[in-house]
Amino acid sequence: MDKKAVVYINQFFGQIGGEEAADHPPEIQEGAVGAAQALAAGFEGKISHTVICGDNFMSSNQEEAVSRILEMLEDIDFDIFFAGPAFQAGRYGNACGAVGKAVKEEFEVPVISSMNEENPGVDIFKKDIYIFPGGRSGAKMQEDAGKMARFGNKILKEEGPFPADEEGFFKRGIRHQYFRPDEKPAAERAVEMLLKKMKGEEYTSELPIPEVDRVEIAPAIKDLSQVKVALVSSGGIVPIDNPDRIQSASATRWGKYSISGMDRLDNRSSQGFKTIHAGYDPAAADDDPNRVVPVDALRKYESEGRIGELHDYFYVTVGTGTTVGEAARMGREIAQDLKDAGVQAVILTST
Amino acid sequence: MKLELGNFNVKEIEFGEKTAYQKGKLTINKTEALNVVYEDDHIIDADLKIVKPGDRVRLVPVKEAIEPRYRQGGGPVFPGVTGELLQAGKGQTKALKDMSVLVVGKHWGGFQDGLIDMAGEGAKYTYFSRLKNVVLVADTDEEFEKREQQKKNRALRWAGMRLAEYLGRTVKELEPEEVEKFELPPIADRVCELEDLPGVVLVLQPQSQMEEDGYNDLSYGWDTNHMLPTLMHPNEVLDGAMISGSFMPCSSKWSTYDFQNFPLIRKLYQEHGETLNFLGIIMSNLNVSLEEKERSAQFVAQIASTLGAEGAIVAEEGYGNPDADYTACLVALEDAGIDTVGVSNEATGRDGTSQPLVAMDPKADALVSTGNVSELIELPPMETVIGELEALGRDGLSGGWEDDEELGPSVREDGSIIMENNAMFCGDGVTGWSTKTMKEF
Repeated sequence: MDKKAVVYINQFFGQIGGEEAADHPPEIQEGAVGAAQALAAGFEGKISHTVICGDNFMSSNQEEAVSRILEMLEDIDFDIFFAGPAFQAGRYGNACGAVGKAVKEEFEVPVISSMNEENPGVDIFKKDIYIFPGGRSGAKMQEDAGKMARFGNKILKEEGPFPADEEGFFKRGIRHQYFRPDEKPAAERAVEMLLKKMKGEEYTSELPIPEVDRVEIAPAIKDLSQVKVALVSSGGIVPIDNPDRIQSASATRWGKYSISGMDRLDNRSSQGFKTIHAGYDPAAADDDPNRVVPVDALRKYESEGRIGELHDYFYVTVGTGTTVGEAARMGREIAQDLKDAGVQAVILTST
Repeated sequence: MKLELGNFNVKEIEFGEKTAYQKGKLTINKTEALNVVYEDDHIIDADLKIVKPGDRVRLVPVKEAIEPRYRQGGGPVFPGVTGELLQAGKGQTKALKDMSVLVVGKHWGGFQDGLIDMAGEGAKYTYFSRLKNVVLVADTDEEFEKREQQKKNRALRWAGMRLAEYLGRTVKELEPEEVEKFELPPIADRVCELEDLPGVVLVLQPQSQMEEDGYNDLSYGWDTNHMLPTLMHPNEVLDGAMISGSFMPCSSKWSTYDFQNFPLIRKLYQEHGETLNFLGIIMSNLNVSLEEKERSAQFVAQIASTLGAEGAIVAEEGYGNPDADYTACLVALEDAGIDTVGVSNEATGRDGTSQPLVAMDPKADALVSTGNVSELIELPPMETVIGELEALGRDGLSGGWEDDEELGPSVREDGSIIMENNAMFCGDGVTGWSTKTMKEF
């Protein structure tokens, strides 16, 4: 097959070094280097280059690392991009996902990775790139790289579509209609499914309803007068220049903004705060952002002694179109920050 | 209740001297047939065409499909609609099979109208591409809705039914080539063997969300918006008790032909006495307000429980807002301890990433999916267009658009088109035809 691939691996699998070399900046080498050879074994095209980057360098300078890698690839002609396998390594999984996603968007080539189901990179990036379920450690290198290479061969040779359940990659939340090759009509499928369900036999719903991860409601706080309260919102209220570039929909970023010394949030026309939320009419929130993040009301409570104090920062993201996976990650990150700051109660405002 | 469908397998349709059926050939005297169409003064211009599978023909805007039939004894094929009110579902009705009467607007389409390709890539998207069709293409003087996106299509739909009855009369005196028997004894009289089989009901949610008369599906001529769920015999539905409305985005729609031939009913009949005891149909509806939705779901679960149903299949005619009725009904049945399967399409967006149903509940754990309303479909030009191709983009068909920043217009200068599946005439086959499902990619 006359096709070319580029592979992304970390410093360890690129044979630069272990944890001591984790700050290694991105570099590109010709051919299949280190673990990329495991892919070369099954890939029917040619691996023209290997990109190697230290996991620490990537996690602490992700934007810079990704943009350097995109630059390196600019003059290279390639048809497909492999990242990993990353096994259960969290930083490595995140790196494969971040680089893979950027490469896919910039060069419009298919991107294939492999990660263990426990790797947080799976939930974050499965929508963006093909991720195959992999082993926990490098012991599964041959197997995991083999899966990636085989799917790479297929995707370069055949026209899709490639259903997740047939190919084996993690479901990406991308659902399209599909003509069943057996042409079994819906009437037969429905009656068969019902008969199985009534007999207690196994059946497969054609539309699995996502598991809802219900969070228990915490016990009520009896006395708020000694408690530090924070405001957290999915209503998209940000300083007028949106310094963290939180997205207006399908957000993956959150922000933390100081309200220390403020009696209320100034509005948009006073160069204070505005909403960047694309899911509701912004007029009222731009006119008075306190109606989404009620700093004014909480200050009043603070002065009346009804709450101990208002935390010096409020936290915000945008809720519209945001995936449950991203929302849960941002929630965990915000919760950790609140805990570190000794916040004991949160008022969560939605829109 | 016992119904016999006396079938005539139509192999060929042609225009000729005398409207008659003989040995698989249906001949139509066009002038006489058009006179039947013109019985309504609101029809100002009409023509008939014949199309068959493989013809390089595109039909748009398609408004309705009907199977030509004759009710032995001469009563209306659609009681309470095309004639007096009488009990459907018993006695003998004769049917011209493998064909339909399609009703196409000569110029004007609307939200609820669709498209059919009789050949090529587009033909796989709708059941009606597989049938021989007598196409009524006509215009009306219904000025009040000419430029409305939402059309009642009353004159055209009723003309289609008259034409179907006219063609059905050709077999009045003839012996059917094949007789299908549909019989379910009264529930209380069912023999012991049946009692050991699990009782199953089919719950139908025909489209009834328009508050104004003239748009909703009718049950014996009664607007399904004004009814509470009720028990019906499956034979009634197969025998003309229900007619299609003129409201829903077209791929979700159940045409009158779909009601007459309902694959889910036929499959349940086939299994009756073998694997299950088919108790009947709970005819529900789809509503606007939350309380109405909940009330209908409660009625459905109560009737199913009272009948002793152990299983239920629920089918929804529509998507979006009525998903709330659909999921509420599935949940109410599950809560009543009845194993339930749902059949509907999904709306996952052009990119496939949107939430499939507006309302979802983990209790709805057995669903059959029949397609994505927003799937983009691009089709080459066709040699012949019956109707008016511009209608797809101009008249607000649910799957078409005038222009789009990325995709351009739905209807291109060379006659090729790009549209959403939404505009495929009854394309999602929720009544049970659909060979489509949904998969993750």
